Formats: sequence, structure tokens, C-alpha cells
Amino acid sequence: MKNTRRDIFKFAGGAAAGALLTPVPWRLIKDSSLWSENWPGIPRPARGEIRSKTTNCALCPAGCPLRARCVGDQPVALTGAGCAFGVAAHHLPYHPARLRQGPVEQAKAALAKRTPSEPIAVLDLNPGRTASWTFRRAMAALDGTYISPDPNPIAYDLHSVRTVLSVGAPLLEGWGTPANVLAAREKFYLVHAGAVETPTAMLADEWIRAEGLPDPLPRRLLENGPSLAVGDAPGVAELNRKLGAPVYARPEAPVPDAWKKQAAPVTALDAVPARGLRFLLIDESSAVTYIPWHLIEPKLASDAVVITFAVSRGGYARHATYALPAPVFPEITEDIPAAIDQTTQVFRLAAPLVPPPPAVVNASELVAALADIPAAAALRERADFIHMQSPAHPTPDAFWQALVDGYIWRGSPSLPAQSSPTQPRPAHDLPLTAVPAPWTPALLSPLMTKLYEESNLRLPPNAVALNPRDAAALPSRAVLQTLHGKCTVRVVPDASVPPGIVLAGSSPGIRDICTHGDGAKVVLA
Amino acid sequence: MTRYGMTIDVDRCTGCGACMVACAVENNIPPAHEGATDRTGLTWIRVFKVGQAFVPMLCQQCGEETPCVGVCPQKAVEVDPATGIVGQMPERCLGCRYCMAACPYHARYFNWHDPAWPPGMEKTLNPDVAPRMRGVVEKCNFCHGRWHAAKQQAVAEGRDPAHVEYTPACVEACPTKAIRFGDLATLPKPPGSVRLLESLGTEPKIYYRSSKVDLRAGKEPSRG
Amino acid sequence: MKLRGTILFLAGALAALGAGWLGFPRVIYRTQAQPVDFSHKIHAEKAGSKCDDCHAFRADGSFAGVPTLDKCSSCHAAAMGDTAAEKRFIEQYVTPQREPAWLVYARQPENVYFSHATHVKRANLKCERCHGDQGSAAAPRILVENRISGYSLDLLSMDACIACHREQHKENSCLDCHK
Repeated sequence: MKNTRRDIFKFAGGAAAGALLTPVPWRLIKDSSLWSENWPGIPRPARGEIRSKTTNCALCPAGCPLRARCVGDQPVALTGAGCAFGVAAHHLPYHPARLRQGPVEQAKAALAKRTPSEPIAVLDLNPGRTASWTFRRAMAALDGTYISPDPNPIAYDLHSVRTVLSVGAPLLEGWGTPANVLAAREKFYLVHAGAVETPTAMLADEWIRAEGLPDPLPRRLLENGPSLAVGDAPGVAELNRKLGAPVYARPEAPVPDAWKKQAAPVTALDAVPARGLRFLLIDESSAVTYIPWHLIEPKLASDAVVITFAVSRGGYARHATYALPAPVFPEITEDIPAAIDQTTQVFRLAAPLVPPPPAVVNASELVAALADIPAAAALRERADFIHMQSPAHPTPDAFWQALVDGYIWRGSPSLPAQSSPTQPRPAHDLPLTAVPAPWTPALLSPLMTKLYEESNLRLPPNAVALNPRDAAALPSRAVLQTLHGKCTVRVVPDASVPPGIVLAGSSPGIRDICTHGDGAKVVLA
Repeated sequence: MTRYGMTIDVDRCTGCGACMVACAVENNIPPAHEGATDRTGLTWIRVFKVGQAFVPMLCQQCGEETPCVGVCPQKAVEVDPATGIVGQMPERCLGCRYCMAACPYHARYFNWHDPAWPPGMEKTLNPDVAPRMRGVVEKCNFCHGRWHAAKQQAVAEGRDPAHVEYTPACVEACPTKAIRFGDLATLPKPPGSVRLLESLGTEPKIYYRSSKVDLRAGKEPSRG
Repeated sequence: MKLRGTILFLAGALAALGAGWLGFPRVIYRTQAQPVDFSHKIHAEKAGSKCDDCHAFRADGSFAGVPTLDKCSSCHAAAMGDTAAEKRFIEQYVTPQREPAWLVYARQPENVYFSHATHVKRANLKCERCHGDQGSAAAPRILVENRISGYSLDLLSMDACIACHREQHKENSCLDCHK
């Protein structure tokens, strides 16, 4: 009898029937579904002992004390932050745009070729740190210039006033130390003057919907004193003088006398001669402000070498000759300067919670090495000096250990000072006036998409918001153009923006071309 | 057992968004995928601009006639009779999104994609909350991971785990203490507190108060 | 002729039954041994260790489960006996400070939350009830693992948990045990 195909089918049929009576098909279904629970690519959180570490947040001068919840040694959550950025600051080391490598050797070689007559400068975008003093000492040794974005920083005492006039200042959006501002908020009457509907405007006790110093001044300001005006609009400094407002010099913790003697003076960017710099080193690793490139570029010689210490590829890395990777919070060991609303000396550290990647460089150490100044222990030297002035701890070692664990040293109150008057903005004939969004740190956790893309809470960094009337003819992608350049932006129509105003996002590309009050237009790409 | 509730003082909310980010950190919510919009995002708590105020919206933890529980074909969500928390089980969910349609507060979110964290960032995931795969719905569970930890701590210290106090991530992160949480029976509810869409009979456990916007009138159109 | 067909059918059925009941279990499970030949018996007898010397609760109530290397190193910095297994352990793990990749018999899916503290301290369950008698074993149990799902053969399933919870009237809600 020949074996036919039918025989095979009969055998297979029997096998199928038999298989149904075995565990095979049922187990395979169950096990496959169990396997799909652990869908490949979904990471499993690491397990381990839960530990706690304390430090201070270094993203801005608020320096909020933080408690890090760690699995083993890895921080997984931060408690105590005063803003949305600090809450997820432990993500920054893993940001995809984070700079991890850079031409360090080439940059050092370029610096080594410098002859003493070639002008060199450091632009410090987070002045007031111990690293700032290292830069100043190095520049003194090299006959260079130390440039600060704000040579005469001011502090305001919010706690001692009963009326505050905010002239376009983002008082409730991270202007000072959020916790301090909000704690003081209950005690003062807030008048906000500004055309744009910001959270400060919405939550103020009174909102004057016009840009600039209100005329006439709010009565409460004059009658319900002590009063204070904040904001960098023209006329604010003079108003504070008239009101006798509590304006102080921004305090700084004690500095070793040897350092003060060997430090270059603080120079403003304006005072640097045009085309004067052959070497410019920019420390934007923990930048608290951004200077548009069109203000820096004119100071550079035609063959200038610009080296920036950056944590992201945005920022000055787009313009610099060499972009060197710097450690980012929480990898850094650095002190945090006083904030705009702190009128007493403070000294506090951000100590590392995780190790930085191997290829990063510390800006102050590299610059100090150029001048043969030993700077690796500068923070410890300063801490020991402060301890000598006012020992609250038994030994310098105990003080240092306390600082590493997040201790905040407080010292003497600062001295009254006057803020420098702000120059009025030049008039322009462009259809729109730019109002940039409040400053944000250079690198934000990838989770910030919750605020920028997955909700309408904040304007995305690369977007502009326009009144629907101004946005009427525009597609969703357009070009923001000012006297200083252009930038592709996303257009978001927003009825709460008054006509004639363009609210600009906080991306470096936008900040390069517009600051507050600049004339702008938004055109088709 | 403690029944938990929340009060939100809208006058204190500055729209900073710290609660939104803290929630994402605590609950292993991934960053947005390419092309995400405010309709496709995962924001278990979301702050809306309503007129001159900011209103945080999250799952209201309905107590009665819970709409999402009633419609789920998988029984992937249920109301805990003891704590009152409406527990969403993404592992049981098959992704029909009926609950998203049923929820009157639009507080449920769908995973359109598998979660993707930048390389290295998966080290920062919270071990107390399981990440979800694509195709399932998720929502606020009043930080059940922290509730578990609080109960365990109570057992370790010899206290009764049926009555524990804990702080959800959004409550802890809020710089103005606009959001407060605790035992629903004893949580102080400031005068003028209302619950959203009370007329539907959902008996939510979150009390809002605002002097600037009438929360009973529903949402005004927001930006964008 | 029909008989031939029936015989073939039955032969197929028998082959399937044989493969399914005898062959399949051999194929679907993978056995793995622990990386270190650890003897609970020796540690219990000779070292006088009790369960919670190594498997202890931390201050926040979480359970340490399998101890980390520093627990072993605290005694085994140098050889304490003369077994080859101990010598291998010291060479491969203690000296280079490398954590052994212990296999976990009771690894539950990621979304399961189990609190040892509640079950041991409040329900007074003994370790042996769920983990079997590991304490008197001379050699560590072989892990029998499903090749597809990755879970251990004798892993406690949700049904087993529910059965005991029902009996003890401790049934509350999904979130009690899930994360």
C-alpha cells in the first residue's frame, strides 16, 4: 500500500487531536502572554537598598535644599526642590543632548600657543561662586580680563516690605528663591505692571496691563510702605532710591584675603574693547543667564579662539571654536551664589550624587592650570576660611562634612546699595515687541515635555506665542526675525497675548536674537 | 482603614508645573515621543490655565457610580472599598479606551507608544511603580507606591498599617502647598470648597476652592 | 483500509500525547544552578547562623532578600573551611569584589508588590511556608525556569496568594498587591 498524502493528513490530524489533550498549546499560550508582560524594551527599575543623601540644588541661585532618594547609590527622586526643573534634576546626566566628549586636548594646545601679549578673558555666566574667584585670580596672573554679566549685583529684601511693584519681573515664576518669595508673599501687597498675562500678573493683587513703570504710580506703593520695586525696566532704580527701598549689594560669603589681593577686577562686557579678545573662555556649565551672541561676537578678534565649558550642545557650543564637556548637576562640587532676594551672606555647596563621565573637564581647574594656580582645593580653602571667621562647628573637617551634606552657612547682613539705572530700549518700527520667556537652566530633564509638549502650561522653548490677530496669516512654522538675526520657530496662537507683542520661548536660538523690548516680526519661512 | 482625599487651593497655584514633573518622576512616566501633543501626552496630573487661574486636574478618585469602573470589560480598574482609591491595573487593561470616554474629568491617559527613556535614564526609575507597555490606559492612583512604602514602614515600627499617613509626589513637590492630602474625614476643607461636576453624582474625593474662577461652571477655553 | 486510517490517526494522537506529556516538559524548562555552591546546612550547623542573620529586614521594613557580598565578606574574607566551593567563591567574588549573580527562585512579575514585613511580622508566616525548607539543604536548589516566560516552575501564582487571602479574610483590592 503506498503512503499517500492522506496518510500524512490522518497522522497529523491525530497528532493535533492528541496535542489538544496535552499541556502544550495551553502552556504555550499562557507562557507567551507571561513573556509579553515583560515586553522587551520596557526597562525594569533597579532594586536595592533605599538610601537618602542630602545636598543643595545648583540649577539656580535659589539653592533649594534637596533630599535625594537613592536606590543603592543612584538617585531616583529629589524632594525639596522649589520648581519643576529641580524636581527632575537627577535626570540631567542622562539627557541625550548632554555634552560628554569634546576636543579637550586641542583646546589646551590652542591655549598653550598663547603669547603673553594676546588678550584673554573669562566670561563667567554664574558669577559669585568660589570658581569665579579662581577665574579672577587666574586672569590676574595672566593679565587677562574677568567678565561678569552683572558686575554690581543687587539683592532685595522682600521680607521687610508691605508693597511690591513688579515691573515685568517674573516674581512668582522663579525670580528669586521660590520658597522665600512665596513665604514672603503673604506679607506684601503685589502690584504687577506688564502687558503679558504671566502667572505673576494673574496672581498679583493688582495688575496694570501696560509695559514699563506705571504712570501714575500705584497709590499703595507710596502710602503703604515700606515699598519696593523690582524688575529691570527703566526707572525702577530711581524709584527705589525715592522710596528708600531695601536694596542691598548681593552678599558674598567671606573670601580669603590672599585671593582678594590677587584677583582681577570684575569687568562688564560693555567695557571690553571691540575686537579686543584673542582668547575667550566661557563658563556656561551652570549658567544663570544668557548673553546673546551678537553682544559677545563684536569683542572677539578676527582670529579669536572661543572655548566654552558647556553641558549641552545648545548655548555657545554652536558658536565656539571648542566646546568642552563640563560636569552637570548632580555631578558637580560647587558652591551656590546668593540669590536676588537673599540679603544675608550664605555659603552652601552642591556635592556630587553621581560621578561625572570620565571625559569632562572642570572649567575653573583648567583655567587655573593655565596660570599655575592650584585650584582643586579652592572650595575647601574657602570653607576653612569661613570656619575660621565664625566656627559653628568644632573643627574645619566637621564644617566641611556638614557642608557636603547640605548645611547652609549664614553670615552677616549685606550693606545697602543702589542698583544701576536701566537704559531705555531703543524705539523700533517693527510690528511686534519681543517679550522673552523667563530664563530656564541650559539643560532640562527630558520629562519637561510634560510642561511644553504634552500640555499647554508653558510655551515650548522653540516657539513663539502671538495674539490670534497677529498670527492669522501664519502657518505653524515660521521665522522670527529681529535686528540681530532670524530663527525658525513654532507659532502658537494665544488669545491672552496682547496684540503687538510676541512672547518668545527660551531656546538659545531665540535668545541669541531677541531680548526684552527688541523689535521683531514673524514672517513666513 | 483611612479613606484618602485631597484639597486643592486654586488661588495658591502658580502654574509652575512642579507637580506634573514630580508625578512623572514618581510614577515612571516616560518623556513624550516625537510628535506628541497635549491630546496624546501622559500627564496624570495636568495644570490648566482657566481664565485668571491655574487649576491642577487629576483623577478625582470617584467614590460612587465610578464611570471608568462601570465600563471596563476587563475589570482592570476598581474602587478600593477601604481607602477609596480607584486603582488602575494597566497589566489587565486591553486598551479599548472605553474608560477614557467614560471619564467625565478626562483624567485617563493612553500609552500610544512603548515607553522610551534616553539611555542611562532608566537607572533613575522608581522601583515602587511598575512601568507600563504600550496599548494600556493609566492614571493617577494617589501614589500607591508611596502608600505601600508607608504601610511597610508602619509594620516595621509596629504600628497599624490600616491607618498610615503618606504624601503623594504632587503634594510634596508643590512649592505653595496648594495641594494637600490626607484622611478625607479629617482633612480641613476650606470654606467655599467644591467638587468638580458634583451634579453627576460621582462623589469625587478632591475638593477645590478658588476665589477667581467659578469651578462649578466648567472649564473656559484654555490656550492653544 | 479504514483501519489503516484509524491506526495512523491513533498513532498521531499517541505521538502527540507522548511528546506533549513527556517531551514538552523537558524542553520548555531550563535548569540553572546557582553561581556559588552555597550550603545552608553548613552555615546553619557549623556557623550557627539563623535565617535572619543574612535574610533581614531593613529599617524601613523592606526585606533584604538575598544578602549582598559585604555580608559574606564579613566572615569569608579569608577561607574558613577547606571546601573547594569556598575557595572558588573567595577567588571569584570576594577578592575582586564582584557581586554573585544569584538566581532568584521567587521572582514575581514587575507589577507585583509583596511585603515580607506584613506577611512575616503581622501574619506570622514562616519562611518555609512559601519558600520550602531551604535552611537544611546541603546544596542550593536548582532553578527550573520556563524558557518562554522566564518564571520559575514552582513560583507562587496569584491564585495561591488569593486562596490564602480569602481564607484569612484579608481580601481588599488590586492595589494592595499590585504596583
